[in-house]
Amino acid sequence: MHQQKIQKLKTKTLGIAIFALAFFSVQLAGSSLPLHSAAAAEVQPSATAITIDDFSYALMQLETAPGTPVTWIQKDDAPHTVVSVEHKFRSRALDADESFSFAFQDPGTKEYSCSVHPRMTGKIVVK
Amino acid sequence: MNPYNIREALLAKHAQHVVLIHFPIALFLAGVAFDFVAHFTKRSAFAAAAYYNFVVAAISTLPVVATGLLAWQLQLEGQKLKGILLQHLLLGITSSALICLTWYTHFRSRRDFEQAPPFFRLPVELLAVVAIAMTAHLGGYITGVNIPS
Repeated sequence: MHQQKIQKLKTKTLGIAIFALAFFSVQLAGSSLPLHSAAAAEVQPSATAITIDDFSYALMQLETAPGTPVTWIQKDDAPHTVVSVEHKFRSRALDADESFSFAFQDPGTKEYSCSVHPRMTGKIVVK
Repeated sequence: MNPYNIREALLAKHAQHVVLIHFPIALFLAGVAFDFVAHFTKRSAFAAAAYYNFVVAAISTLPVVATGLLAWQLQLEGQKLKGILLQHLLLGITSSALICLTWYTHFRSRRDFEQAPPFFRLPVELLAVVAIAMTAHLGGYITGVNIPS
């Protein structure tokens, strides 16, 4: 009888612990998830800006001069990256309204893609 | 990428996570359905079916978690996660823990007492289903399968 009581108590405690774990995990995730980061850089679209939206880079190919920074502006709700095929540059995972800039110094065609969605590709032609 | 190149297919970084995740989801949901039927009909065949679904579901969470963590390291170089990616990670770990806990609850009942598992398992299983659904929704959003073509 005493054993059964202890078993029931253990069972209840375990149940409460599981609910608490799940609840706090969801709360923790939710609290750290600003979809539109306040810290995101405010960048106005320009000739050297490429918008990311609907799982694609708005400009498949962009021509620019050496030393001119190219900025990718993330407008999609899903996270994306900008990663050089030749491993010359790499952004972190960008959330909505975040941006990444890189200035190309050497002439040539620079290919890049999103590491999370490899079918998203683009080219920068520096000349 | 060549679809018939086995080496490319097996080493396709995060692609394995997307493939493997279907196993614990399907097995666990089937297990929950069997367990609810077993609970209300008191038929041991359904209870056994539920148990074996939970066993394989729990086992299959291991490669899923491993490939998910590998994807984080390979695709994003282990950078600090935020946003949907962090939510997916936390919910995924919670879901995996709940799947393994469900299996363990059934395992203990069968091993120690040979009696019906405790009632609290049913709300835990429902909670796990909700966590799995949320994780899967975010996973679909991250991979892009949810967007209109």
